[in-house]
Amino acid sequence: MFKTLIGRELLNNLMTFRFAAAVFIMLLLVVANTVVLIEDYDRRLAGYNTAVKTHQRQLHAKKTYSGGTSKLVVARPPNPLSIFNVGFDKRLGNEVSVSHTLVPSLWDARMHGSDNPFMDMFASIDIVFIFEVILSLLALIFAYDTLAGEYEQGTLRLVLTHSVRRGHILLAKYISAMLCLLVPLLMSLLLAMILLTTSSVISLNADDFLRIGGVIWASVAYLSVFYLIGMLISGMARRTSTALMLSMFVWGFLVLVYPNMILAVSPQPKAPQTRTASAFNQIEQMWEEFDRERKHFLATDAFPGEEWDFGIKGWGGLYAYSWDNPSKLLYTYESAMEFRDLGEQYATEIPHTQNYFRFLGPRVINTAERTWLIRKPALEDIFIHPANVERIWLKLSPAGLYDAATQAWVGTDVLGIRDFFHAARQHRQRVINYFHDKKVFGSQQWFTTDEGAADWGSLPQFSFQRLDVNTNAKRALPDVCILLMINIVLFVIIFLIFIKSEV
Amino acid sequence: MIWHIAKRELYDNLNSLRFALATVLLLGLMLTNAVVHLREHPTRLQKYHDGVAEYQNRLKSYAAESLYKLAQKGPGDLYKKPSGLHFCAAGGETFLPADAEGGYGRWGLGGEPPLESFWILWYPSVTPNLANVRPDVTKVDWGFIIGYVLSLIALLFTFDSISRERERGTLRLMLANSIPRHTVLIGKFLGALISVSIPFTLAVLINLLVISTSSHVHLGAEVWGRLGIILLITLLYTCLFLVLGLLVSARVQRSAVSLVILLLAWVTLVVFMPNTLAAIAGGSSSSEAALGFSERSDQIHDELWREYASHRYNSGKSWPQKLEAAGEYVTKDAAQQERLHEERLKQRISQVNRARTLARISPVTIFQHLLESFAGTGFERHLQFLENVKSYAQQFRTFTVDTDNADAESLHIFGVREGMSQKPVSPEAIPKFEDTLSLSKDFNTAAIDLLLLMLFVIVLLSGAYLAFVRVEV
Repeated sequence: MFKTLIGRELLNNLMTFRFAAAVFIMLLLVVANTVVLIEDYDRRLAGYNTAVKTHQRQLHAKKTYSGGTSKLVVARPPNPLSIFNVGFDKRLGNEVSVSHTLVPSLWDARMHGSDNPFMDMFASIDIVFIFEVILSLLALIFAYDTLAGEYEQGTLRLVLTHSVRRGHILLAKYISAMLCLLVPLLMSLLLAMILLTTSSVISLNADDFLRIGGVIWASVAYLSVFYLIGMLISGMARRTSTALMLSMFVWGFLVLVYPNMILAVSPQPKAPQTRTASAFNQIEQMWEEFDRERKHFLATDAFPGEEWDFGIKGWGGLYAYSWDNPSKLLYTYESAMEFRDLGEQYATEIPHTQNYFRFLGPRVINTAERTWLIRKPALEDIFIHPANVERIWLKLSPAGLYDAATQAWVGTDVLGIRDFFHAARQHRQRVINYFHDKKVFGSQQWFTTDEGAADWGSLPQFSFQRLDVNTNAKRALPDVCILLMINIVLFVIIFLIFIKSEV
Repeated sequence: MIWHIAKRELYDNLNSLRFALATVLLLGLMLTNAVVHLREHPTRLQKYHDGVAEYQNRLKSYAAESLYKLAQKGPGDLYKKPSGLHFCAAGGETFLPADAEGGYGRWGLGGEPPLESFWILWYPSVTPNLANVRPDVTKVDWGFIIGYVLSLIALLFTFDSISRERERGTLRLMLANSIPRHTVLIGKFLGALISVSIPFTLAVLINLLVISTSSHVHLGAEVWGRLGIILLITLLYTCLFLVLGLLVSARVQRSAVSLVILLLAWVTLVVFMPNTLAAIAGGSSSSEAALGFSERSDQIHDELWREYASHRYNSGKSWPQKLEAAGEYVTKDAAQQERLHEERLKQRISQVNRARTLARISPVTIFQHLLESFAGTGFERHLQFLENVKSYAQQFRTFTVDTDNADAESLHIFGVREGMSQKPVSPEAIPKFEDTLSLSKDFNTAAIDLLLLMLFVIVLLSGAYLAFVRVEV
C-alpha cells in the first residue's frame, strides 16, 4: 500500500508543469552562473599567480636582508569551491606581509592585483545562492496543495476509507515530493560538476568531492525544511488559495526580507571603545619600552653618538619609522638599511652596525610577539564577537543556516579564511628561524652587500593548503544538525496536526 | 463600467489574506528603513561637515603662507555631499569613495633649487570589506523594498485575477454582458493597482513621518519634488509587474500554473539577472594592464627625471635657465601623474558602465538606477561629483596662475619656490569647492532608463491586451 501511495504521489508530481518549469529554470540558472563563476575564478587565479611572481621579483630585487623583510609577502590562493559559496573568499584581504616586525592577522591584509574596487558594488552570485532562492521556492510550490488540495477535492477522504495509516500517507507524500525535488537539484549540480571537471583551470581533489557532498547534504536538508514548512501551511490552511498566499509570504519573509532586515533591526553590538583604547595603550607602551631599550643600547655602545645609522653614507638608502593604526590595534617599528659596497672607508662603523642589528632583530621579534598576545584577544573581542552575534541572528532563518553550513563545508567562512592567516603566522616563524639559523641579524648582508647580496633562494617557501575535510565537517556540523532538527520538529508537528484533523 | 469592475476587484482584495500580509510586510520594512536612516544619517552628515571644515582650514593656512605654498599643496580632500534621500537608494555608496584628493606630497628634492612635487588630483579607492568579517547583507532601502518586495506583492495580487475567474466560470458570465474586453482588463488592472497602492502608500507615509520628525533631516522643497518623481517611477514600476501578472494570467488556464510561471520569471528577472549580467559584462575584459600602476607611474617619472637631471647638473646653465627647467619638470610631472590617475579612473568607470548597461535588461536594475539618479546617490551621482571636482581643480589652477601673474615681483616660473609669488593670498579670494546636485542633470542621465521602463510597460500592456482579447473563455 505504501508503495502504491508513493507511486501515485510521484506520478502526480512528475507529470506537472511546475516540475518541468523547475527543472528548466534550475538548469538554466546553474549552468549560466557556473560558466560565469568559472571565468571569474580563472581571473582570480591569474591575479594570484601574478601576485606571487611579483612578490618573488620584488623580494629578489632587494640586495640586503633588512631591505627585503618588507617585501616578504604571502598571498592567499582563491578557493576553487568558492564557486559553490563565495562567502568571504573574494571579500577579505588576500595578501599579507610576514615580516618579522609584525605578527600578521586578517586585519593587516591587503588586496592584491588588478581589481577594480568599483566592481564590488555588484553582488556576486554563487550556486548556493541560486539553491537558496529557487529550491526553497520550488519546495513551497510543490507543497502548498499537497494536503490542502486533497482536503478540497475530497480525495483524502477517499484514501482514508481504505485501511491506510495516516502516517503512511504523510510519509509517502514527503518522500515522493522530495524525490521529485531532488531531480532538479541533482541534475543541476551534476551539470555544474561536469563544467567544473572539464574546465582546465579548476582541479578538484578527493577532499573537494567530499566537501561538495557536504554541500549537497546541506542542500537536501534545506530543501526538506522548506517542503515541510509548505506542508505545515497546507495542512493548517486547508484551502489551496490561502495556503499558496501564506507560503509565498513566508518564503518572501524568510529568504528575502529577514536576512536583509534583521541586522538593521537587531540590537547593534557596541564597539567596545574602551577595550580598543586600553589594548592599544598596552601595545604602545611595549613599543615605547622597546624604543627606550634601543636608544639605551645606542647610547651605551662603544661607538660615539646616538645615531642608529652610525654616520654611514653611501649608495643606497635607509629608513626607520614606527607607525600605528589604533582602530586596528596596529603598531610596528620598521627599519632597514641597504647599501652597496661600503668598502674600507667604513671599516670601523660596520662592526658597530652589525652589533646594533644583532641586538635589534631579536628585540623587534620579541616585542612583536608580546604585543600579539594582547592584540589577538582584543581583535577577537572587537571584531569577531560582534560579527558572530550577527551571524547567530541570521541563523534564525533556514536560509541563514544553509548559507553558514555550506560556507563551512567549502571553507570560505571566516574560520576558513583565518586558517590562511594562521598559516602565514607559521610561515613567519619559519622565516625567523631561518634568519636565526643563518645568523642573518648580525651579518653584513643585513645592511650592505660588501660580503655579497642577501641569499633569498634558500628561504622557506610558502604554500597554503586548505585544512582537510574533517575540519570543514566539524565546522559545518552544528548548522547542518540544526537544519535536521528543524526538519524533525516540523515533521512531528505536521504529523500531530494531520492525525488530529478531521477530514 | 471600468470603475465598477475596479471597485469589485478592490473590495475582493481588501478582505483577502494577501492584503493583510502585504500591509504588515511593507510597514515593517519601511519602518526599519526609517529607523536605520535616522541612526546613520547624522554620522554621514557629521563626517561631511568635518571634512569640509578641514578643507577650509587647510586652504586658509596655506594661503596665509604664500601663493607658492597654496599652489604646491593644493586644495586637499574634496568631499562628496551626502544626499538627504539616502534612504531611498543606498546605491552601493559604501563602495564609492566619499572624497577625491587634491594633493599629496609624492617627492621632495634637496639641493639647488630645492623642489617639491606639485599637487595632483587623484581618486582614492575604498575597500570597506577588506577586513570586514561581518555578514554581508543588502541594505534595506526603498530600492530593495520596492524593487524586490513590492514587485513580488504586485505579482501575488494579479497572478489569478483572470485565471481564477476563468476557473470559476465567472469570466464567461461577465463577458456575456455587453462589456468590451479591454474594459474588463483595464478595470482589473486599476483594481489591482489601487489595492497594491493602499498598503504601499500607508507604509511610505509612515516612513516619511518618522524620518521628518528627526531634527537632523531637513526635507526641503527640492527633496519633496524628488520624492514625488520617485513615487511616480515606483508607480510605473509597479504597473510593469501588475501587467506582467495580468498577461500571464490571461494566457494560462490555471492560476497555479500562472503563479509558477510568474514566480520563476520574477526570480530570474529580479534576483538573478542583475548580478549575473553585471558579472558577465564586468569580467569581459581585464581592467588594468599587466604592469602594475605604481610601476608604470615610477617609470614615467624616471624618464622625466633623467631628462631634467641633465639640465639640473649641467654647470653650463645659468640660474634662470635652471629655474625654468625645474619649473617645467615639476609641472610636467604633476600633469603626467594626474593623467595617469585619470586614465585608470576612466578604465574603471567604463568597466562599471559596461556592467551597468548590460544589467539594464532587468527591470529591477532600471528601477534602481532611476531611484539612484533621483535620490542623488550611487554611481551616476559619483560621476557627477567627479565632474564637479575636475572643474574645481581647473578653477583652482587658473586662480593660482592668475594670482601669480598679478604679482609684479614674481618671476612667473610656475613650479619652483624661487620663481613664484611669495606673498600671502587672501583666503576669501580662493575659489571654494561646493559639491552640488542638479535635478536637470539627473533627468538627463535618467532619461534612457525612464524610457526603457516605459517601453517595458507599454509592450507588456499591449501584450496583455492582445492575449486577453484573443483568448477563448
